[in-house]
Amino acid sequence: MNTYKIIEIKQSVFENNDKQAELLREKLKKDKTFLLNLMSSPGSGKTTTVLRTIEALKDELNIGVLEADIDSDVDASAVSKTGAKVIQLHTGGMCHLDAEMTRQGIEGLGTEELDLVILENVGNLVCPAEFDTGACKNAMILSVPEGDDKPLKYPLMFSIVDVLLINKIDAMGIFDFDIEAVKERAKKLNPNIKVIPISAKTGQGIKEWTDWLRNEVKNWNEN
Amino acid sequence: MHELGVIIEVVKTVEDFAIKNNITKIDTLVLQIGELSAMIPRYVEACYPAAVDGTMLQDTKLKIEILPGNALCRKCNKVFNIIENKGICPNCNIKDYELLCGREFKIKEIIAC
Repeated sequence: MNTYKIIEIKQSVFENNDKQAELLREKLKKDKTFLLNLMSSPGSGKTTTVLRTIEALKDELNIGVLEADIDSDVDASAVSKTGAKVIQLHTGGMCHLDAEMTRQGIEGLGTEELDLVILENVGNLVCPAEFDTGACKNAMILSVPEGDDKPLKYPLMFSIVDVLLINKIDAMGIFDFDIEAVKERAKKLNPNIKVIPISAKTGQGIKEWTDWLRNEVKNWNEN
Repeated sequence: MHELGVIIEVVKTVEDFAIKNNITKIDTLVLQIGELSAMIPRYVEACYPAAVDGTMLQDTKLKIEILPGNALCRKCNKVFNIIENKGICPNCNIKDYELLCGREFKIKEIIAC
């Protein structure tokens, strides 16, 4: 008969990733580079929002972008036209990015000269919320056509982000979208969440968003 | 289904642990999954063979322990199960609670030969 030995590990599955995320944040602090993790479902306007953000801040900040997708480089090619440094990461079927993949992307970009790196995470409201990428701040986009019930359906995502951008507000008239209900639902999950309604298409609200971002970059890179 | 990516991470962690502790053969891996975590035990079991394929954990057994999703009512301090009570305190009928447990996803132990 075999003798079996039980060996306790008692380790959270995310512990390994959390450690790598901390290491990445330390490196970013040293390099004076601010990493923003931007999450949302597919089609919410992440890339358009990134383009708007670059346009608003490119004269004052050196910006890099990490585009994470399961496949293709359509987003990276759109972003590269702005002149920002961009790297396309393929997750190869994985539905989220972890800290190690993010680190590889950051290394590929080379952060020494960059003030701000925007990580456009895989379009998904579930798994990216579970993994710390090593970002300094987390933001998410909820677009009007997706509906105001999303904080109820994907509570974890809404509870871990620092900023919620409500995009496509120019289309509010067409959809039954209760923006006050979203704010209330999101704040119940996350009292400190900052909610900024925007339209990446018309540019509405982009100033408030980029003011917030500029301020965060400044705080990170100075202290 | 995002379980596969996460289980691949688990396998890596266990392999690291085994190497560091000079363990050469593993019989069973025991995971603890909270009722409220985003991991569904049925899917974890389904993708386990694919995740361990070609690793040290190939041919190992998987055991999953479910941890309850419990909450503490902020008003009356009663501890209750969130899923059974749909988040509403059975004592005072309000939905205002502090999460105690249930979001865990842990590697509890390995049974080595």
